[in-house]
Amino acid sequence: MTEATIKLVGLRKAFGKNQVLRGVDLDLAPGQVTVLMGANGAGKSTLVKVLCGVHAADAGTVTLAGVAFAPASPSAALRAGVVTVHQNINDGVVPDLDVASNLLLDHLADGAGAFLNDRKMRARAREIAAAVGLEVDVARPVAGLALADRQLVSIARAMAQEPQLLILDEPTSSLSATEAERLFALIERLRAQGVAILYISHRMSDIRRLADRIVSMRDGAISGRFEGQPLDYSGAVRAMLGHEITEVDITIPTPGAPVLEARGLVLRPGARPFDLTAPQNEVIAITGLVGSGKTALAEVLFGLAQPTAGSLRLDDAPYTPRTATEAVAAGVFLCPKDRLINAVVADFDITRNLTLPFLRRHSRAHFLRRASENATATRMVGEMGVVCQSPADGILTLSGGNQQKVMVARWMAEASRLLILDEPFQGVDIQARRDICAKIRATAQTRATIVFVAELDEALEVADRILVLSEHSIVGAHRNENIDVAAIMAEVVDAAPETTRELA
Amino acid sequence: MNPDKRSAVELMIRYGFLVLMAGLIVFFGSTAEGFLTPFSAVFILQSVAITGILALGVTATLVVGGFDLSIGAVATSALMLSSYVMVVWELSAFWAVLLCLLMGAAVGLVNGLLIVKMKVPDLLATLGMMFLLVGAQRIPTEGRSISTGMSLPDGSTANGTFSEGFLMLGRHRLDLILPDLLPLSVVFLIAIAVAVWVFLELTRHGRLMYAIGSNAQAAALAGANVNRYKVVAYMISGVLASVGGILLAARLGRGDVASGNNLLLDAVAAALIGFAVLGASKPNAFGTAIGALFVGILLQGLTMLNAPYYTQDFIKGAVLVVALVFTFALSARGSRGRG
Amino acid sequence: MISRRVFTILMGAAAMLPGLALAADMPAPFDNPGAVKIALVRYLSTGDFFQAYLSGVEKQSAAIGVDLRVFDSRQDAALQADMVDQAIALGVQGIIVQHGLTESMQAAVQRAVDAGIKVVAFDVNVENPAVPQVEQSDRDLARLALEQAVVDNGEAWTAGYVYVPGIAPLDRRDETWKEVKAKYAGINQVAEFGTLDNPIANSVANQARSVLSANPNITVMFAPYDEFAKGVKIAVDEAGMSGQVSIYSADVSTSDIAAMREAGSAWKATAATNPAVVGEVSVRALAMLLAGEDPGHNVIVPPTLITQAMLTELDIKSMEELGAKLPAFAHADVAVPAWMPLPAR
Repeated sequence: MTEATIKLVGLRKAFGKNQVLRGVDLDLAPGQVTVLMGANGAGKSTLVKVLCGVHAADAGTVTLAGVAFAPASPSAALRAGVVTVHQNINDGVVPDLDVASNLLLDHLADGAGAFLNDRKMRARAREIAAAVGLEVDVARPVAGLALADRQLVSIARAMAQEPQLLILDEPTSSLSATEAERLFALIERLRAQGVAILYISHRMSDIRRLADRIVSMRDGAISGRFEGQPLDYSGAVRAMLGHEITEVDITIPTPGAPVLEARGLVLRPGARPFDLTAPQNEVIAITGLVGSGKTALAEVLFGLAQPTAGSLRLDDAPYTPRTATEAVAAGVFLCPKDRLINAVVADFDITRNLTLPFLRRHSRAHFLRRASENATATRMVGEMGVVCQSPADGILTLSGGNQQKVMVARWMAEASRLLILDEPFQGVDIQARRDICAKIRATAQTRATIVFVAELDEALEVADRILVLSEHSIVGAHRNENIDVAAIMAEVVDAAPETTRELA
Repeated sequence: MNPDKRSAVELMIRYGFLVLMAGLIVFFGSTAEGFLTPFSAVFILQSVAITGILALGVTATLVVGGFDLSIGAVATSALMLSSYVMVVWELSAFWAVLLCLLMGAAVGLVNGLLIVKMKVPDLLATLGMMFLLVGAQRIPTEGRSISTGMSLPDGSTANGTFSEGFLMLGRHRLDLILPDLLPLSVVFLIAIAVAVWVFLELTRHGRLMYAIGSNAQAAALAGANVNRYKVVAYMISGVLASVGGILLAARLGRGDVASGNNLLLDAVAAALIGFAVLGASKPNAFGTAIGALFVGILLQGLTMLNAPYYTQDFIKGAVLVVALVFTFALSARGSRGRG
Repeated sequence: MISRRVFTILMGAAAMLPGLALAADMPAPFDNPGAVKIALVRYLSTGDFFQAYLSGVEKQSAAIGVDLRVFDSRQDAALQADMVDQAIALGVQGIIVQHGLTESMQAAVQRAVDAGIKVVAFDVNVENPAVPQVEQSDRDLARLALEQAVVDNGEAWTAGYVYVPGIAPLDRRDETWKEVKAKYAGINQVAEFGTLDNPIANSVANQARSVLSANPNITVMFAPYDEFAKGVKIAVDEAGMSGQVSIYSADVSTSDIAAMREAGSAWKATAATNPAVVGEVSVRALAMLLAGEDPGHNVIVPPTLITQAMLTELDIKSMEELGAKLPAFAHADVAVPAWMPLPAR
């Protein structure tokens, strides 16, 4: 193996009490594509941010081509030869400027004299564009380009720095198959030129196409390294998702009558249609990788998006919600993921957060009844075991786990027909996770319950039945009893990816 | 931070502004002769009645996380419209009031639809509306003020008058303890302040509006009709601004050409000062009313002490800055200390 | 053969355009109607005063038969200077500068003068000997109103004064107020206030309320601008002091007339120059320059005193009636050479 371009030893980073990187050791060699896999919160983004100069590491060393590397800022990292193309394409370009200005942006930001010479700039920009095979008029504004071209601009801009290490963070997440193909061609060219490439992605098709080597990350440390053809893809996924399955004691009850029935559901054009039945008194966990369609399915069930095809029935009547309001009125509740963005009302106390969706029940002739609200809040805080001084505490004074308990309690305070919980264990400690899990199971008799989780052990902890979603379609169903974890893993990673096959 | 120090900061955030106001009253009471009389108190209320009512409208839009720059222009448009209805069309006070309220509601509706349907940012939509109204109110009279006996663009003379009933809205005073003490406009201010307070604090609609202002995405996912509430907020703002304009017309007794920018700025200042009252750190009707009163007391006292107008503007600005520091720096520190 | 109908139409047209009928009697360049182009470059335009001024300019221009272009800078001093250059480029022979800032207009006016264009300035000092300054005499306005105050109230009274410094006409009126105070030792000014926050009358009313409660012994309010006077009157009415306080002001409008005529109104007198007349005089002064005559460097339009008593006696309810019943107000005998056609009344 060639000498490492970049070498990370014992890298640590904490935010407050939260240890995000717990000693990362990693070598990246020139002319090699290393794919980095990791679930949400595994520490991938923090690692990238340390490498590109956004955060400083607390401990550990990084050497770049034998020299100590501790960039104080993103521009310092760039000058040292580490360039990063971020997930959100528009983070990498300035849409209102023309292509030439974008390509030379780092140069401009460095302060290259006060005056600009258009003709010289464009000539230089054309050289840079040609180097990455980007064929556009450099005088055009970036806002007028296709997504892939914008991305190429972003990469070309990075390449103008003649990097030693190129980091790509989920670069294909918003590209079409043909657009992605252009990107792959470019990456292969850069690999041939001897650039070390760190490629972060969950898309198995991308990984199969590009990876020379896979590194899995879990809980802030490297949990697996996979080299040598053929690569062990399932091993990599297992290392990323982990396999310490919590000992849980699930007694599967007899499911009742179907509450939700989906027939021939197609979540996006080109995806395989599937059926889904959620009976009363059953907790279903739906798992899958990032981008496998969990959010799309949740949105369809809650009326936030319309399916491409297929029909829904609720309690044997047609169910066609067009807004969240209609879904709630029909008795379908969604506790959304990313609570700080989608659920927490920061200005409100616990009580007001709890009663938000059902204010009508707590009011008489439009006027709120404080007593009714307080009674509900006191009851739910007690039942959920929210740790607080009183229900009048501000929501942001609570820990993440307790905030999440309040958000789940918000939707359990009233009886529902179908309760959907999207990543209910996101960013919560183990005790809160157990409490929420127990509460979901304890109240499940009166309704159907669907829980979306990315982590398999969470699914095993909460569900009667586990469904695996891949490429926007259900590819496996397992009763949560003597379960074959390896089989689920295989489905998570490998299952019939039709759109992927076209690419591979 | 040690507990004593923290509670001192919390006390300051909560009561600092009210203490400041009490101090101001004591100061003016001892230096300006005639400041501490019931009449003086009523003058203050009367001088803030119009901006106070406008400020309550702004508060409604601030609650849903919006902003309404058009209120000043709506008020002066209502001033011109009510004058036009009575003086040129020679209709009664009833029609003048009704048409003004409808105009305010319609402007609010258009503002709201521009913002939620056309996705125009709130500041820009209402800024556009402001210019539009400032121009539109001048078109029918070719930029002239409206008063009885004025000549119209077509050469004829306007013969209508402001009816007594209409003028009473801005000028009549009720007997309260002392005869002729309480102006009707003050009664309107108090009634509207109470109504807005009740609506925002005690009804579920007010609660949802606050939720929308704090996290619109969360409110939408909780099933609230975010767009409808936003439009309602702008309609409240438009209607209250037109009420302010009606009272202005009744006080002036003629349709004065004016941009209303000072009304807008004073109203916004009152609403923002209101953030600091009782450490609310958010738009609220009670705070807005206190904020308007605070500015009124300050201006009354300074005028009684013969302070020129520019020092008054200066001090108004200083109060606003201090209030914003109370709201953002101090209370942010307070909550960070806990989190 | 010319039919009777065509003849009637021709006569009618001639009657409607008095300038045309008289064109032959006027000196060059006005002997050729429509050949002369002039421009009015305005700094201030919103409000009754400026509207009336414009109507005066328009009427007098029509009477002489000149082609008038109006440029409106809406209180943008830089734009106003640019507009002078636009007017030069347009090939006008004469320019009236209406208000503005000396600093921004001086150079622009000099460029116009250098280009051989005749310029008159109204209420802005462009510091140019070739440019006649048309003025309504603010000192005379204040003097007339204050003389009436002395006639009504004697030589000793307690006064409140409304003033915002830095506004040229108000500063000139202020000079007269200072002179009058110096002349009559018995005048005791106890309060000075004022603001231009708009609506001005409403803001001034709020201030005047405070002043009246701080100084309940005030008997005369000198408010030398009608918006100020309107505000003071609202405050006096609200304080129930209209029997005690007398208001003296400057300027007049239809609604001011109504306010002065209200039963028991505290607004006793105002001194005013008819803005329409000032507009007419501005055009006439420019026309004299164009005809090679000298209107003089300072063209002063004299004000008229209007008292509550006059309005009641003559039953005047509007500006039109004021012009009709007070001839001194309708026309100023300024810049009127023999050949000058006057607007029809």
